[in-house]
Amino acid sequence: MDNLGELLHGFSIAVTVPHLVLMVVGVLLGILVGVLPGLGAPNGVSLLLPLTFGMQPVSAIILLSSMYWGALFGGSVTSILFNIPGEPSSVATTFDGYPMARDGRPTTALATAFGSAAFGALVGVILITFLASWVAQVALAFGPAEYFAVYFLAFASFVGMGGAAPIKTVVALAIGFSIAAIGIDTVSGSVRLTMGVDELVKGVSFVVAVMGLFGIGELLVAVEEEFHARAVSSKIDWREVFRAVGRLPRHSVALLRSAAIGCWMGITPGGPTAASFMSYGIARRFSRRGRYFGTGEVEGIISPETADHAAGTSALLPMLSLGIPGSATAAVMMGGLMIWGLNPGPMLFVDQKDFVWGLIASMYVGNIVAVALVLLTVPVFAALMRIPFVVIAPLIVIICVVGAYSVSNSYLDVVMMLGFGIVGYLFKKLFYPLAPLVLAIVIGDKAEDAFRQSMLMSKGSLGIFFANKLVTCLIVAGVALLLLPLVLQLARLWRKPAAPATETTAQEKVII
Amino acid sequence: MISRRALELATAVLTGGFGVAVVVQSLDNGIGWSSAGVDAGTFPLLTGTIIVLGSLYNLVRGVLPVASLANVPIAITQIELRRLAGLFVPAAIFVAAIPLAGMYVASALYVFAVLAIPRHQSVPRALVMAAATALALYVVFERMFQVSLPHGALAAALGF
Repeated sequence: MDNLGELLHGFSIAVTVPHLVLMVVGVLLGILVGVLPGLGAPNGVSLLLPLTFGMQPVSAIILLSSMYWGALFGGSVTSILFNIPGEPSSVATTFDGYPMARDGRPTTALATAFGSAAFGALVGVILITFLASWVAQVALAFGPAEYFAVYFLAFASFVGMGGAAPIKTVVALAIGFSIAAIGIDTVSGSVRLTMGVDELVKGVSFVVAVMGLFGIGELLVAVEEEFHARAVSSKIDWREVFRAVGRLPRHSVALLRSAAIGCWMGITPGGPTAASFMSYGIARRFSRRGRYFGTGEVEGIISPETADHAAGTSALLPMLSLGIPGSATAAVMMGGLMIWGLNPGPMLFVDQKDFVWGLIASMYVGNIVAVALVLLTVPVFAALMRIPFVVIAPLIVIICVVGAYSVSNSYLDVVMMLGFGIVGYLFKKLFYPLAPLVLAIVIGDKAEDAFRQSMLMSKGSLGIFFANKLVTCLIVAGVALLLLPLVLQLARLWRKPAAPATETTAQEKVII
Repeated sequence: MISRRALELATAVLTGGFGVAVVVQSLDNGIGWSSAGVDAGTFPLLTGTIIVLGSLYNLVRGVLPVASLANVPIAITQIELRRLAGLFVPAAIFVAAIPLAGMYVASALYVFAVLAIPRHQSVPRALVMAAATALALYVVFERMFQVSLPHGALAAALGF
């Protein structure tokens, strides 16, 4: 029960007036970026990043993680009230959330969504509380070969379980790795991949990529279709809130199943978006009322919301204990950790106990703050959506430009950000996944270093990746995940030899 | 009008082109094994090759009619294309104007132009919004966070 003692200590750090204020600020900013189309959790967190450099790391991470919770909640508000998902991970919430709100039960839909989201987040935090330090302890014994194997497994699970077309995921990952390699090589000191541009010696910051890919890219996708912000009433009936939350235990099977899916997809970096789609799909198949899904079913809201938040929260587990972020936003936060001078990974649990347990305790408190604030501010943020998109769009462009510039006061970054915007638009349009791209930019260097260090140890023999049971298991599991899509495809062909091969993935089917 | 096929094609060519550039550049850094371990170019060579091969696969996949998504022939319609250009072209001009006009003047002009020229807002309201944007940027960055945004060649010539 060491963990509980540490957790109590963590609460003594998290529950102080300055930190509670930071949580409120973070959650409100998070809801704001969650509500606005074009701005999401990854951009929001990268925008705030430069402002945290002067803070204590624990205060900074509390601010950023609170923003993450806020953004997760904010995305659901617009999904339910406007049928416009503010975040990619809340697309699945629109399927049943909006019909229910349209039928005159917006409070029920919102309360159900927030209640199940809070449950999902709670399961994720409990998992982190009990599992993170244990994983970190195991990982303390890791050498470079084991690390490379874990990275490999993480990337392979994107390909195997991310939900997008496998080869598109592979291309996105490899592009991320190549971008990470731009600049000075940390091992040999030589300059790589600058394409003749001297300024690229400093490398390409992940913040620049995130601003373009998620900011400008999403804005371009959003501008395509005209916005019909025809809101259903955004008034909150408080008695109905408690009644809706009181009805949640009746759906405990759906809650638990979705939380399990979410935690699994969060730890193995499938990410919240894939988790919510998967959970919705499974719920539709297994629920007795499955054929009513899409018309405002309660379980159709519970399933994606619980999985979304469980995945978003548990994505921080591998980030803290292994140094591998489980989602795009976690990747940005990990970039922040490195900028603050912390080394994400198992040593955090030894050297930075205050930081780790302060953060974990703040996740309990932060989610409660987020639920309360989001319910209180629904009318305010719903009113925000009535501002015409043509007014918001240029402001978001300016925010992204300034955000990209302020990373290292470089104009080149701004131009690159705009380029990333086009790439982001094309990738979104054609269902290339963006999260693996960002992840690879953030941890590409570490993965490469791990590989080269293991090669040095083994004098160039790949045998080091099969030297002991642990590393062999990890590599084999990674290869299995890589081959999973291929096996599924072959199995489908085996069963129905005449059926045409389909490239449509679960997410695309739902969207089309 | 842009077809789904053309878009897949263009994206695959784009990613493939990047892959080729990575491969070519990585050869300069040396590949394979040297006395210092794995050479600096090896890893980029590997990722570059994967990009090229993956892009080729996506190219073929996107063009062949077997892919069920080719049944959705139109990816971007004429109207959507106009809306995209309406957002992106002014944004690109804004970015291009920053070195000359500076962040503050450029963003004010950008907001004003985007709001007033297509008559989304009246001229006085657009003026107010443009001024407010520049002022907010100045207060937040230059004053509160002490981050200097580019003032531009024009301001430098005028002695700011």
